[in-house]
Amino acid sequence: MLEADEKTGLTTITGLDLGTNIGVYYHVRTSKSFFTIKAEVPKENPRLKTLIDIHPGALFHELECADLMGAIFEGNELNGHFILSENWPNGIYPLRKDIDLSQVKLVPTPEHETNKSAEGREVKIIIGPQHPALLEPEKFSVTVDGETVTKVEPRIGYVHRGIEKSAESHTYLQNTYLVERVCGICNPCHAYTFVATVEKILKLEVPERARYLRVIALELNRLHSHLLVFGHAGLEIGYEAVFQYFWRDREPIMDLIELTSGNRVFGSLMTVGGIRRDINQEHIPKIKAVINDLQSKLPFYRKIYTDEPTLRLRMKDVGILSREDALKLSVVGPIARASGVDIDVRKDRPYEVYNEIPFKEIVYTDGDTWARMNVRMDELEESLNILDYALDHMPAGPIRIEAPRTVPIGEAVSTIEAPRGELLYYVRSNGTDIPERVKIRTPTLANIPSFLKTAIGESIADVPSNFVSLDPCFSCTDR
Amino acid sequence: MTEKTEKKQTSRISPIFKRAISHLFHKPATTKYPSVKPVLPPDTRGKLVYEIKDCNAIDFGSGPDFRLDIKVMRGSICHVCERDCPAGAITIVEVDGKQRPQINLNKCIFCCQCVDSCPRGAIKQSDIYELAVTDKASLIMKPKYSQKDASQ
Repeated sequence: MLEADEKTGLTTITGLDLGTNIGVYYHVRTSKSFFTIKAEVPKENPRLKTLIDIHPGALFHELECADLMGAIFEGNELNGHFILSENWPNGIYPLRKDIDLSQVKLVPTPEHETNKSAEGREVKIIIGPQHPALLEPEKFSVTVDGETVTKVEPRIGYVHRGIEKSAESHTYLQNTYLVERVCGICNPCHAYTFVATVEKILKLEVPERARYLRVIALELNRLHSHLLVFGHAGLEIGYEAVFQYFWRDREPIMDLIELTSGNRVFGSLMTVGGIRRDINQEHIPKIKAVINDLQSKLPFYRKIYTDEPTLRLRMKDVGILSREDALKLSVVGPIARASGVDIDVRKDRPYEVYNEIPFKEIVYTDGDTWARMNVRMDELEESLNILDYALDHMPAGPIRIEAPRTVPIGEAVSTIEAPRGELLYYVRSNGTDIPERVKIRTPTLANIPSFLKTAIGESIADVPSNFVSLDPCFSCTDR
Repeated sequence: MTEKTEKKQTSRISPIFKRAISHLFHKPATTKYPSVKPVLPPDTRGKLVYEIKDCNAIDFGSGPDFRLDIKVMRGSICHVCERDCPAGAITIVEVDGKQRPQINLNKCIFCCQCVDSCPRGAIKQSDIYELAVTDKASLIMKPKYSQKDASQ
């Protein structure tokens, strides 16, 4: 199948506790469809064959499943821990149902890894978990030969909060707000995808106006997220003026989010059966004024990211990810689209009203940092157009329908295009008002392997600008 | 140096340079908080306000109800806010022999689900956002009757 359709990629692997068996569900996307391959292995001996030799993109997903659910992937064994902390006792898999987490006792074990000379000429440089170039705690051990990077070893999980486990003890209603807190930047995406998945199990038909309002909330989120990374990239490169200008212009978008939802950051708009707040007709001119203002500023910003000599020197031909590698590592979002892989969930598997709204799918073929930022720059314009269209074509009507609190037995998967790429939620219900399993696959987890590949052979000074072009979000990655 | 190379050099000056210079003469984009308070949009989700005299619903009204399963709630004590709060910020305490919610703003995440859930509208949102205190206990809102309520 991998040969038949080059865009086939593994989105994620969900581990499930099915009593005596461990369920290992492979969520696969192709250019036309999305489906799940289900496998079951006995709990005593949960052994499976690894996929990394035919599909390297499976690496992180297999390790995560091994760490949290205890499945063993032959050929890709886990040494130590992947997401859990190093002092987590071996043999206790937190997502299994028969584990008593109150019995787990953690002993602090200080890590002794420091910058040191490896054999010969190579030097190991530790970036993180506390490092000025990374705003969130994550560790990358970079081995350099002179100035050239020869190896990157990641260690994620410093902000692992166990939200997937926590969701198994909250009601669906409470979980809407819980999953929103997975990420501060793309919170409506998380809330929306969870809600959409539950609606799929309930077979609810959401009113048309609510669908438009949801698209507006999601696109406002994309705007502010992209403007954030433009500023952040300037900061990483050491160009503070760029950072200041982009964040100044992000502020009106934040005000719009506050206007439409009641809070700058956490909109808390999504709810099963619709949306919690309507947009007042009086506010529409105000929203349109902000959109027009940003549209008039766009040419200047496009000029900065395409022609500005400093940024061009730091970004052009840095961190080139070829199309073959992008397909093999199944990267998502702007990173894939900058390498010439035209995947966008909004086009491939439209959700809500994206099939009614005209917009372009942005694809660049350069595959470097410059292309990744310019994909986002073009998407900014498309987002503004989508907002404009949605505000004009929004029908009148109710914004939510009554939804039951208990969800019948069933399971569903939803994917959406978050600002950083494809976001997946898998929800399994057991007939009560509390879900049995909530699986979250965030885009950054799928995109980090591409950095491990592209950093090699480049200068250590290019690591920050290469890395920030992934728009990494570690709160998402670790959950 | 010919004219052509000069032109090439000028084009290598960052477009942001001119903009940055011009901003020396512009008004700053930042606001003068706290001396000038921001204008908040309507429906800002700030501190919760609780009206004890509106509380304890038995009459659920008519029409579509998004808020609760009435079957679960049958009985005199409602507890919906406690049940729905995602942060566990609401606990039920006894006031004058009746059960009433106590809202702990230290735990509150300002989602205002309790505002949506309350069948009698006893909990409301307000636009009070300056909640910094030196004493954590003062953010626990104890339900009590005001003197005005007691005299009625």
